[in-house]
Amino acid sequence: MADREMAQEITEVQPLAVVPGFDLKEIAGDFLRGLWEEIPLFRLVLGMCPTLAVTTSAINGVGMGIATTFVLVMSNILISILRKIIPDMIRIPAFIIVIATFVTVTDLMMAAFTPELHHSLGIFIPLIVVNCIVLARAEAFASKNNVIRSTADGLGMGIGFTIVLILLGTVREILGNGTWFDMPVLTGIMEAFEYEYQPMIVMILPPGAFIGLGLLVALANKIEERRKGKK
Amino acid sequence: MFRLIIVLTIFCSVAAVALAKVYDITKGPIAEQERLKTVAALKAVLPLFNNDIDKDAQELVVGKDKKGRDIKIKFYPGKMNEAIVGTAFQVIAPDGYAGDINILMGVAPEGKVSGIEIISHKETPGLGNKIMKEEWRGQFKGRSLEDGPRFAVKKDGGDINQFSGATISPRAVVGAVKKGLDIYNKEFGNGG
Amino acid sequence: MENVVEILIILVSTIFVTNFVLTRFLGICPFLGVSARIETSIGMGMAVIFVITLAGVSAWLIEKFILIPFNLIYLRTIVFILVIATLVQFVEMVIRKTSPALYNALGIFLPLITTNCAVLAVALLVVQKEMDFFPMLFFSFGAPVGFTIALLLMAGIREQMAYARIPKVLQGTPISLVTAGLMSLAFLGFAGLVK
Repeated sequence: MADREMAQEITEVQPLAVVPGFDLKEIAGDFLRGLWEEIPLFRLVLGMCPTLAVTTSAINGVGMGIATTFVLVMSNILISILRKIIPDMIRIPAFIIVIATFVTVTDLMMAAFTPELHHSLGIFIPLIVVNCIVLARAEAFASKNNVIRSTADGLGMGIGFTIVLILLGTVREILGNGTWFDMPVLTGIMEAFEYEYQPMIVMILPPGAFIGLGLLVALANKIEERRKGKK
Repeated sequence: MFRLIIVLTIFCSVAAVALAKVYDITKGPIAEQERLKTVAALKAVLPLFNNDIDKDAQELVVGKDKKGRDIKIKFYPGKMNEAIVGTAFQVIAPDGYAGDINILMGVAPEGKVSGIEIISHKETPGLGNKIMKEEWRGQFKGRSLEDGPRFAVKKDGGDINQFSGATISPRAVVGAVKKGLDIYNKEFGNGG
Repeated sequence: MENVVEILIILVSTIFVTNFVLTRFLGICPFLGVSARIETSIGMGMAVIFVITLAGVSAWLIEKFILIPFNLIYLRTIVFILVIATLVQFVEMVIRKTSPALYNALGIFLPLITTNCAVLAVALLVVQKEMDFFPMLFFSFGAPVGFTIALLLMAGIREQMAYARIPKVLQGTPISLVTAGLMSLAFLGFAGLVK
């Protein structure tokens, strides 16, 4: 709760700052905030759909994470540059146009250069447009802060999101398929002891996504509780 | 009010122009990727060929569906020094466990299967999706309609393996490949 | 007769077999956010059915008569999201003018719908799958109905859950996700129902 108040304070005070900040500490703070205090999915319940849908393997998580990070950073930068030109009344449609443009660029680029990843992520690439994280950062941060801070914020949020995607993808792929990034981790270990690994197929199926993420969020809550207890 | 409309219009136009540019740049590579994918699949189901296979492809009408529309299939002839070594085409198994299974199959001139690839499917991971495995697909090599009842899954009295807990997907694939052979024999019918 | 069967198959498969929330992971945010009470869930569900059906039809028409003839397919995402945003605004205005009662019931949910990914997903799916008009219509109707059913089931469970003693770390999102997982497991039973 205290974190959130603090974050709010920052975003409220910042527009009044006269000198555009080159304060390294502040920029580092913007970047790090996305990695734990406001890490998407664990602390902010945003962007659930692509997370659950594409994390059948760790590599999919990496692909989705990078695509989202790219869109986040680029749209944060552009919106921050344009923040004084965009009239307040139409800022949301304007943000959506900016975001949708970068999403389409990502979509086309992936189709051209990483066709397999493009195929396995499928409809969830264009759906980055409605990933609440992107619009939320545009509205809550980039439209109120300078370019450097917005870049740091976008990068931090994007990397935080990617970390969670990879974590969930890892858990699901190892348990559900016995592999990690297509390397036979669990299958290999079991084979060493002359057992055949029977994959927990349910982890790759939809229920595994929900339950896996639910338990990961609970784990994050537990860690946060410990951390607060120590303070 | 007027200003709002102008700003939004400018935004949209800039976005559209930028996207047109990106689309232009990526159009070539995307088409090339798709072609490579097709050729790779064709190489997997046909014996060695050296012609420009996707240029030699021809589309034929093989029948009509329930609504009276033509069913078209694109046939890819694989040639080695101008002699046909096999023909590849896509068939659809409509009776998979969870929807259509798209199969690319290659047939040698004497009417024997030279290989199959599963192009897309929605079968259950860990059960039905074992049809993707190479050792299972390998069982189709050399099969022809002359095999009679042996060309079926074991549960139906044939000698193609099914998977424990999943008979529907293999059965659907077998059915579609047989149908494909039937079409092949009708179109290119030597001895069919 | 055959058409009726076909329509039924589309409806059953979009509502149950490939339920939008529980097997396709679309519309999860409102699914977790709004499902605390049955009453609000009904409101949200109705609004979503209304908007998605309209969005599916609009997307299909735009694709067929504008994007394909003018060779503008690469503008699909941006055009669809703008159309959806406009549509939501428009629906809000019409409802406010014509039926204050309905507006009171649905009004607060309407702005939330623009960022419900199920809406854009339906718009993209109907054109990607090159559906004909009637299958498209029933797909666009069945998908949000499936969403609403999942939402209502979840709301029913969560109203009961309010009386349960849930471990502290599981409270909130985690327990909702695990519950959704179990529901999704149940919905797996529908797999293979429609060939």
